[in-house]
Amino acid sequence: METVLTGLATGFSVALDPFNLFLVLAGCFAGTLIGALPGLGPINGVAILLPIAYGLGFSPESALILLAGIYYGAEYGGRISSILLNVPGDAGAVMTTLDGNPMARAGEAGRALSLSAVASFVGGTFAVILLSLFAPVLAAFAVTFSPADYVALMVFAFASLASLVGKSTVKTLLGATIGLMLATIGIDANTGVPRYTFGIPDFLAGIDFLIVVVGLFGMAELLTLVEHQVSGKLNSLPVDKSFVRLADLAKCKWAIARASVIGFFIGVLPGTGASVASAVAYGTEKRISDTEKTFGTGDPRGLVAPEAANNAAAGGAMVPMLTLGIPGSGTTAILLGALLMFNIQPGPTLFSQRPEVAWGLVASMYIGNVALLVINLPLVGLFARMLTIPQHYLTPLIAILAFIGIYTIVGNPHDLFLITLLGIFGWFLRKLDFSLAPVILGFVLGSLFENNLRRALSISGGDWGYLIADYKSVTLYVLAALIVIAPIWLARRARLMEGDNPLDQG
Amino acid sequence: MVDRIFAGVLLVVSLAYAVIAFTTIKAPFQYDPLGPESWPQILSLVAIACLLVILWKPDATEMGVARATWFRLGATIVMLLAYAELYEPLGFILSTILFGAALCSMLGAGMARSVTFGVAAGIAGYLLCVTLLDLNLPEGELIEWLLEPAPQSEGTS
Repeated sequence: METVLTGLATGFSVALDPFNLFLVLAGCFAGTLIGALPGLGPINGVAILLPIAYGLGFSPESALILLAGIYYGAEYGGRISSILLNVPGDAGAVMTTLDGNPMARAGEAGRALSLSAVASFVGGTFAVILLSLFAPVLAAFAVTFSPADYVALMVFAFASLASLVGKSTVKTLLGATIGLMLATIGIDANTGVPRYTFGIPDFLAGIDFLIVVVGLFGMAELLTLVEHQVSGKLNSLPVDKSFVRLADLAKCKWAIARASVIGFFIGVLPGTGASVASAVAYGTEKRISDTEKTFGTGDPRGLVAPEAANNAAAGGAMVPMLTLGIPGSGTTAILLGALLMFNIQPGPTLFSQRPEVAWGLVASMYIGNVALLVINLPLVGLFARMLTIPQHYLTPLIAILAFIGIYTIVGNPHDLFLITLLGIFGWFLRKLDFSLAPVILGFVLGSLFENNLRRALSISGGDWGYLIADYKSVTLYVLAALIVIAPIWLARRARLMEGDNPLDQG
Repeated sequence: MVDRIFAGVLLVVSLAYAVIAFTTIKAPFQYDPLGPESWPQILSLVAIACLLVILWKPDATEMGVARATWFRLGATIVMLLAYAELYEPLGFILSTILFGAALCSMLGAGMARSVTFGVAAGIAGYLLCVTLLDLNLPEGELIEWLLEPAPQSEGTS
């Protein structure tokens, strides 16, 4: 407890620095804008703005505070387009459309927006509180991890990724493997042997993380926007004067509480972020409270559950990223890559060695959540107006921002071609139902995975049995097996039940 | 079908990756039991296994992209490549004006609006990034020549 308090004190002294405070607010504001724009979610927003944030030459904690602000600001803003347009900004906001949009259509857009803002605030704040309590404990435990345990942790991370993310397990696994393979390009750090460089000097240091991120996310997103291009304006429902009432909060308090808990713990699981969390929270809430079959027709509880959950998941995803160096979601994978660019190795020692970064980030999230609530309640009309920005201005703007980012950092015009090509590749992957988060997770974790495996086998002198010699790694392998088998088993059981009671369908 | 083609292409790439992993990569000394080659070998086997499963049981059959959409995507990619090609020679402002106006008008905005957008994005973007944020963007030879007297007039005012 004491470490938490002193840590938070350090953190707030960093986060309350006027410049960092400004960055929190700027990040939250920009994030909400990005989240509100239809089609642009947190991951694309962070991907496009990462090189620019890096190029501004901030200190690592300032850059991270800005990017994290954009991240949870975008989770916050995603609900605006879901509610008013019925177009989710990203996968995490899909569930919000189910009850949010009917409320807006019933003339209660203002109430839906303000209620979901409160739910997001509660979910986000709950997650930050748990983050500041759990993270130091988990970090203290993770210090004892041996390389073999880290290998087991990676296997667990990829198992939960393959099992819970995306439509097809094989495709998710392949996506992660593609990421891992991309990470092997460059000089092997242990032996100095070049791998897959084909004599091209630019590849010796490996493919730049920024290029992969901007290409796979920013440029692929741009092509997707062009593909689904709608000419003219989208029809946005008007924001009226209705507002959240105390009776709503009283009715929804348990829904918010349950969803926050679910969201946080799903967020902590490596690889599974807001989309899984909001889906599970909505499903659970529907099973518990949908006694009058009002879900899907504008029930406020169906609105608050996914909103509280996806903001809690955004906070939860920070836990493994900061304590283990293993990102909890695609977006935190990008934040992790951002830390690596500043030569900061996230992991168990981050809280003790770079407290200003770790605690500064945590403290900025407290401030950010309050700021988001304050920004969102009165300014929601302004953000809603952003929805009507025609796509034909937005799409070129993404390309221009991506080019500025890559050119200012790398300063090499060949990389502009490389991001375009990676964008085409990413578009194909998305089109064929591969999710891109596993690719970036694989890319970020590649060297960590390989180095720990090699270190473990060096310790044991090449004996593979060493990998399962410790109770920690065995536990992780068992959990990994469970997380792969459980959904298959549950699906089979559900199918059997369905077969038994065909009447349940009606 | 599309799934199979894509998986087939990736399979060729993965096989090439595997061949390199199994034959070419060698450390002059064995530093650790695995060496630099084992990890890529493992990865290539996993990738090939996944790809064989996809080839055996593909799930996406159609791209679901209309012909007009393919055309639009192709044009976008050509514009992006042209933008990348002209980025340094023309400089940020001119290339952005061209790219912004072209993509904007292709996406359905009127000619006047597209040009306004392009000019605004090019000039505002440059001023914002270079003067305010201190980022490095290509000036281009033409702009360099035009801007040359600018610092002097600023100094006198």
